Amino acid sequence: MRLSKTLFFLLFLFAGLVASAQRNVSGVLTDSKTSEPLIGANVLVKGSGIGTITDVDGSWSLSVPDGYSVLVFSYTGYAEKEMTIGAADRVVNVSLDQGALLDEVIVVGYGIQKKSVVTGAISSIRTKDLERVPSARVEQSLQGRVAGVTIAQNSGQPGSPSTIRIRGITTFGGAGNNPLWVIDGVVVDAGGIGYLNQSDIESIEVLKDAASAAIYGTRAATGVILVTTKRGAEGKFNVSYNGFMGSSSPERVLTMLNASQYAALLNERSTAGGGELIFPSVNQGTGTDWQKEVFNYNARRYSHELSVSGGNAKSSFYVSAGLQDQQGIVATEISNFNRTSFRLNSTHKISDVFTFGQTLGYSHQRAVGIGATDEFGGVLSSAVNLDPTTPVVVTDPALANTAPYSVNPVVRDDAGNPYGISSLVGQEMRNPLAYIQTRLGSYDWADDIVGNAYLQAAITDNITVKSSVGIKRAYWGGVGFTPVFYLSATSQTSQNSYGKSENKVFNWNLENTIAYNKQFGDHNLAVLLGQGAYVENIGGGIGTTLFNLPVNSYEDASFNFDIPASSRTTSSYDMVEHRVSSLFSRVNYNYREKYLFTGIIRRDGSSRFGANNKYGVFPSVSLGWVLTNEDFWTPNKVLSNLKIRGGYGVVGNDAIRDFGYLATVAGGFNYTLGNSGIITTGYSPTSLDNPDLRWEETSQANIGFEAELFGNLSLNVDLFNKTTTGILRPINIPGYVGVSSAPVGNVADMENKGIELELGYRKSIGEVNISANGSFSYLKNEVTFVASDATFIVGDASFQSMGAVTRTAVGQPYNAFYGFQTNGIFQNEAEIAAYASADGTPIQPNARPGDFKWVDTNRDGVITEDDKTFLGSNLPKYTFGLTINLDYKGFDFMVFTQGAGGNKIFQGLRRLDIGNANYQTVALSRWTGEGTSNTFPRLTSNDTNGNFGRMSDFYLENGDYARIKLVQLGYTLPTSISRKITSSKIRFYITGENLFTITKYTGYDPEIGGGVFGIDKGFYPQARSFIGGVQVQF
Amino acid sequence: MQMKSYQYLWIAGLLIISAACTKDFVEVSPKGQFLTENYYADEAQVYSALIGVYDVLRKNSGGFENMISMMNAGSDDHVAGGGGATDGAGIQGFSNYTLNQTIMPGSFWNDHYQGIFRANTLLSKLPNTTMDAAAKARVEGETKTLRAYYYFNLVRMFRNVPLILEPLSAANMYTVKQASPEEVYAQIEKDLAEAVVVLPPTVNLSTEAGRLTKGAAQAIFGKVLLYQNKGAQAAAQFAEVNGQPGSTSQYGYRLLSNFADMWVTDNKFNSEFILECAHTSAGNSDWGWWGSSADEGNSLNVMVGPRSYSRPAGSSAPDLPSGWSFNVFTQDFYDAIKDDPRFEATVFDLKALSENGQADYIPGYEDTGYFLNKFLPRRSDVRTGGGALELNYRQNTPIIRLADTYLMEAEALGGTGARAQALLDAVRARVGLPSIPVSMTAIKAERRLELAGEGHRFFDLVRWGDAATRLASRGFTANKNEVFPIPLAELQGTLLEQNPGY
Repeated sequence: MRLSKTLFFLLFLFAGLVASAQRNVSGVLTDSKTSEPLIGANVLVKGSGIGTITDVDGSWSLSVPDGYSVLVFSYTGYAEKEMTIGAADRVVNVSLDQGALLDEVIVVGYGIQKKSVVTGAISSIRTKDLERVPSARVEQSLQGRVAGVTIAQNSGQPGSPSTIRIRGITTFGGAGNNPLWVIDGVVVDAGGIGYLNQSDIESIEVLKDAASAAIYGTRAATGVILVTTKRGAEGKFNVSYNGFMGSSSPERVLTMLNASQYAALLNERSTAGGGELIFPSVNQGTGTDWQKEVFNYNARRYSHELSVSGGNAKSSFYVSAGLQDQQGIVATEISNFNRTSFRLNSTHKISDVFTFGQTLGYSHQRAVGIGATDEFGGVLSSAVNLDPTTPVVVTDPALANTAPYSVNPVVRDDAGNPYGISSLVGQEMRNPLAYIQTRLGSYDWADDIVGNAYLQAAITDNITVKSSVGIKRAYWGGVGFTPVFYLSATSQTSQNSYGKSENKVFNWNLENTIAYNKQFGDHNLAVLLGQGAYVENIGGGIGTTLFNLPVNSYEDASFNFDIPASSRTTSSYDMVEHRVSSLFSRVNYNYREKYLFTGIIRRDGSSRFGANNKYGVFPSVSLGWVLTNEDFWTPNKVLSNLKIRGGYGVVGNDAIRDFGYLATVAGGFNYTLGNSGIITTGYSPTSLDNPDLRWEETSQANIGFEAELFGNLSLNVDLFNKTTTGILRPINIPGYVGVSSAPVGNVADMENKGIELELGYRKSIGEVNISANGSFSYLKNEVTFVASDATFIVGDASFQSMGAVTRTAVGQPYNAFYGFQTNGIFQNEAEIAAYASADGTPIQPNARPGDFKWVDTNRDGVITEDDKTFLGSNLPKYTFGLTINLDYKGFDFMVFTQGAGGNKIFQGLRRLDIGNANYQTVALSRWTGEGTSNTFPRLTSNDTNGNFGRMSDFYLENGDYARIKLVQLGYTLPTSISRKITSSKIRFYITGENLFTITKYTGYDPEIGGGVFGIDKGFYPQARSFIGGVQVQF
Repeated sequence: MQMKSYQYLWIAGLLIISAACTKDFVEVSPKGQFLTENYYADEAQVYSALIGVYDVLRKNSGGFENMISMMNAGSDDHVAGGGGATDGAGIQGFSNYTLNQTIMPGSFWNDHYQGIFRANTLLSKLPNTTMDAAAKARVEGETKTLRAYYYFNLVRMFRNVPLILEPLSAANMYTVKQASPEEVYAQIEKDLAEAVVVLPPTVNLSTEAGRLTKGAAQAIFGKVLLYQNKGAQAAAQFAEVNGQPGSTSQYGYRLLSNFADMWVTDNKFNSEFILECAHTSAGNSDWGWWGSSADEGNSLNVMVGPRSYSRPAGSSAPDLPSGWSFNVFTQDFYDAIKDDPRFEATVFDLKALSENGQADYIPGYEDTGYFLNKFLPRRSDVRTGGGALELNYRQNTPIIRLADTYLMEAEALGGTGARAQALLDAVRARVGLPSIPVSMTAIKAERRLELAGEGHRFFDLVRWGDAATRLASRGFTANKNEVFPIPLAELQGTLLEQNPGY
């Protein structure tokens, strides 16, 4: 009963802090070294909930009720200080010590730990690092700030997730490589973290090595990201608003051939192949610039975030609401994103023993997407491939009255003119403006509720018991209307349709822990024992589609129309539950914070494994040695802290399909019998069983050190070697076995090795404060074993008729690019004749001047599929980031640069099988005669040499880039002004995002995420944005 | 009060802990599917399993990699066509005789073995099923016929194939070896002989059309024997299927009086089609599972349609949906059929229509302008329900039809004699052609025109030994290209050996 009352009064308590008897105390708070006043620091009467903030000259005053005698002073970047004041004290001047970084605590999973005694490789990010990044999703704010984490956008579509890889590729497949996200103790799938509002985040910790991640055993192989949201603080009532507005535009567009250039090249291509001239006259003017038509140079975005937090000795709370809206830069009408979010976090001291806390986040997201972003009809793909000779809109009535315009339900603009349809470029390519019209009214939505509640009991001074329940409830779906349209002969509908889908899922987990902390003289011991149960995927979904609605516009479409059953389809599904049951334990020990030890062991059972291997045990050990705490160490100014640490651990991964170990008989093997075309459902075993399926194991060794140099430079270096054995994937079994889906087996091993470096620097020159943070990581990924059923595994990335363009084999990175190697272009017949095997037989007898010279890698004298070779890695080998902050008086300035490199990008923007597709202007420097080009082959419609048809290094480009990701200039009004409107802080800022990218890549954007990185088939690029905003605090 | 509510919380917590700690917590049993050891229990389940065996018949014209378009592409009557030289590496490679183990589409091998696996599983489970003995015998007969047909396709396409008659397991799947073609044929004959005696002579068309009959099994049997040069035995089987040439046979087979009627979509299960591949639009097929077991659409239709087809107003050309321009006829074939009564039903002469300004299209790869009219997508068949319209055409395609068995019987008879003459005459008379003296040459010419575009020509040329001459200009290499290369994936880690020459 008391509990609910507490909650009920929560929001009003801060107003009722009235004490019976009190005395006024005041003072000035300063920096202990510089004696500068500390502005905006917290002063708190401990245990009373009363507090204040220092003003511009560092002064403060408080009414201290009777019975309270301890003041707490705190300020970001300084060590907190408690002062006991005497009954008569009226003036208390205090100074704080700077640089108390060592006392910083970080979240380590099921608890927190002093950073100084942490032995694992954990990177953390704090509120102040995040609050300046105007990201729609939290993943983006990690980019370039955490060494060892590779992040690339999946798409520039607003609200789109990013691909995150912690310490390289851990296992095969895309989804299985996503890290484990734990938000306030609740496991949330990688796709589901979009509900988080960035300004609600207090800290993010990335557990990179097995020694720290092992506490999450089963699912920790790919690393763990712990997100902690904000809580209210005692006595510190705070209202904060942050809002911005901005405009986005493409950072760069491609230069395509104009109509005249296009006509000339197409004629050349056709005649070279023995065909006729396509354009009798090449004077076609400049024609249509399709990119200009689809890009928006002023896409709007805005964000408002409001939070209120506070608390007293008993309860504290944090409430926030956010609204975010962003338009896409490509086809804005069908590319935008909107999110409303709400959060309530609170903590309540029920008694000296019990503490109750909860977090609850809710968000509603609505996204409109452009649909396909691949080469099969993507908006950008169409804009790149469509010929410039087709008009956007046909205004000539004579043309508009002929086929195909006159005889088909073509899409028309507001004036009634049909959108142009290319007669040269067919297949899935379609006028993007017409396409936009056919997708209006379609959107996806999602509602997420994620929260947890815990009850903690401090049974003795040393023992704490905690029970915590976490839940995630999510609903999502989509609505889509497709009118009757004719975009091209291959892209048309004969009937309209209106569909919607609704899905829901419920996940819950329960965790119980007992923590024991005790200091025995110089020995510090902390023991954690815990038990957890995790259930995911309780849910399912339904979808329905109506056909032939009596209206043909999304505005008029309704599910209330009476549509006969024959013109409706429905589908539904149940999810398969995923259950994990765990026992875990951790021991932390240190001797005078000099010698550090952490041991973790976790045992997990997963519903995804067969009876023979249901459970797995995951241990880890790590050690640390703080040299600078040794007695023999003479304290000096050069090296103030040095910790050397190392660890080894084993973690698991059960991100495989359900029932992979079972042979089941399922439906879907259908056949049609009888005159009326009725489908009969056939059943068949889908696969072979594998009861011996076992855990995939990732073991990792990590060595590193942390150092503080010259009092202002921090350095964090890690070396790691991560080995995954028994990688689970579908086994390539021979086709003659006859199963339609391959059984899952433990079939490969992979290794990731790397170096990570994190640097922090801080210096004040006069009134100018400079700080810099840098991260750098290098990574080498290599497949070390592939089971005997295959010498290689067909890659996951494919391109049209080329098929797979990557391959996985021993000694190569996972999904390495695989194709032919070119060695220049034959300039003349003599070179073709001279390119011969040992006995003088020409290797490419059918080649013509202007064709690629293929490298005969196996030296058998002919060019065959066997000459394909490995051409590079899709995964960046190195990533880096650098943030520089400057502030001077009220001004602050930040520049953040980030980049990656060492990888290749597959530039597949031009469709191979559409001979008439447009070219980028690089085609102007093609081979046209001896000596004209050694890199871009001749154009011909009869490409017998496979210059364009073969996967080769011709399609691969360097993926190196460095990007000025963020530049921000802010100005904080002097407190003397802001106080006039009772505000403690008012800051204005302007931000430029994605200002400039240095890269040689010829596509839109070198940062391309996805299951396989760096596959560009019309990738939606990130936008360049300019933003102006204001932050206000009360 | 206060303590009590905590106690409840703790108790609730403990209850959940104990629930989570039980052994069953991490046991999740599959729903919406069955465990293999429990299935095949009764007649309903057996019937569902039988449908799973039938499923593979779809390969004839379902999916991008279907038998008809593939086999057409390598014959002298067609080229692969399509959108470009790289549009379907396998079909292009067969068309220009550059097929190798890497680009050989695995599905021609895999899909048939999937049918065989399902047949083997069903046959191994059938003895323990509780069901009517006659019904069980019929299921067994159908399953064996299907297994025989799938092996027949495999041995014709790949020649050296493993003969698997029991479901394999993880333990023995890598120890399989190829059987000799003779062994495979012997098993096919055994299966068919056992099936013929139990299959019903006819089925109820409204509910069971498409299920195998005695006549269908015998037609396959005759064809299998013909391919082994067992002429007399083959003729005997065919005679039972064909009956009196030109009349209705004992199983009700009869040539349709109008040749073009065979290609009318609604003429499913007509009296001429002995064994056909059934399609429907009711499956709402979509790109995500195109060509898979759940795809019930006819993909051949859209494949052979002209690209970006359009007609000016008032045109006399037919209203057609567009397609992908595969399997256009060669000029050589056009010249052979241009004066034949079957020309119009067989060839859609878009070249002429386009030249006369009656229609327009974007020429595909290796375009000749002569499209395969038998299987062109029809406007009336465009899907009006869910799924992709390209993938939901519903025309059934013949696997064996009566004119085929007539000509095969005539061939089995050595191309001489009164019955051979009568069989040839019947095929010609149906389209209004006069009798010509029967001979192997005449039969070959007739088969080419009668069965054009139905996927038989390549196998016919190989059977007759004419492939090397007729296909020389395409790059055919004798003693190699008679069969496909075995897909690379089958050779990896197995005991299989590649076919000679590849």
